[in-house]
Amino acid sequence: MKQNTFLILTGIVGLIEVGIFWLSVELAMPFLITGAFIAGIVLIYMARRSVTDRKEDERSVLINQKAGFRTLEVFWVIFFAVSLGGVVLGFSIPLHIPRWGEFGNITPSDFPRELPRNMPPDMPRNISPDLSPDGPHLGYFGLLQMILLCCMMFLYIGFRIYYARKYGDWDSDEE
Amino acid sequence: MKNKIKVFRAMHDLTQEALANELGVTRQTILAIEKGKYDPSLDLAFRIARYFGVTLEDVFIHE
Repeated sequence: MKQNTFLILTGIVGLIEVGIFWLSVELAMPFLITGAFIAGIVLIYMARRSVTDRKEDERSVLINQKAGFRTLEVFWVIFFAVSLGGVVLGFSIPLHIPRWGEFGNITPSDFPRELPRNMPPDMPRNISPDLSPDGPHLGYFGLLQMILLCCMMFLYIGFRIYYARKYGDWDSDEE
Repeated sequence: MKNKIKVFRAMHDLTQEALANELGVTRQTILAIEKGKYDPSLDLAFRIARYFGVTLEDVFIHE
């Protein structure tokens, strides 16, 4: 497979992933995009191995390795710091864990399963104050992770440019 | 680490592109080695020396 064919294939896979993402949101099926994304990446990795006219030597491998390592070195600190903030947010609200010995006092009536009969039909079914649709939920965590991953990509590109320049990628020819 | 690749290339009337093709690397790699911006691996260093028919010490000078 030629390099250009591989790039076209990557673009097509990307477009399909966007379509599946939209479908996944419409159907509220998170595992659809998760599975499709993994399958897409596996397909791209397999296709990349069959590219014949790719010019890669030890210097470009070294540049990629150094850029990747530096990115990881910076990224894990940022990711850990942001995650620690998330953990603090999670622990700063009541966890509703009953104390030892309180289990016997809880009756089914403590957890109302049915909504009042006079509630309008378009009212949200979830009436828990901590888990309301506008409150913090797992989707926001995913969004935060996506933002961090985008930052990581920019970080990698920055390090890649730095090391490519350091190892003479854009030096002019003296011949 | 200094090297005399440019001298040997001139002696053999080779362009950077031609030498790169012979060694299976990119032209930028040869350029980076000549300018001292990149130190080649032992494997590539031996291949360069072997290609010119000289020893490693004839091509590369460790400082």
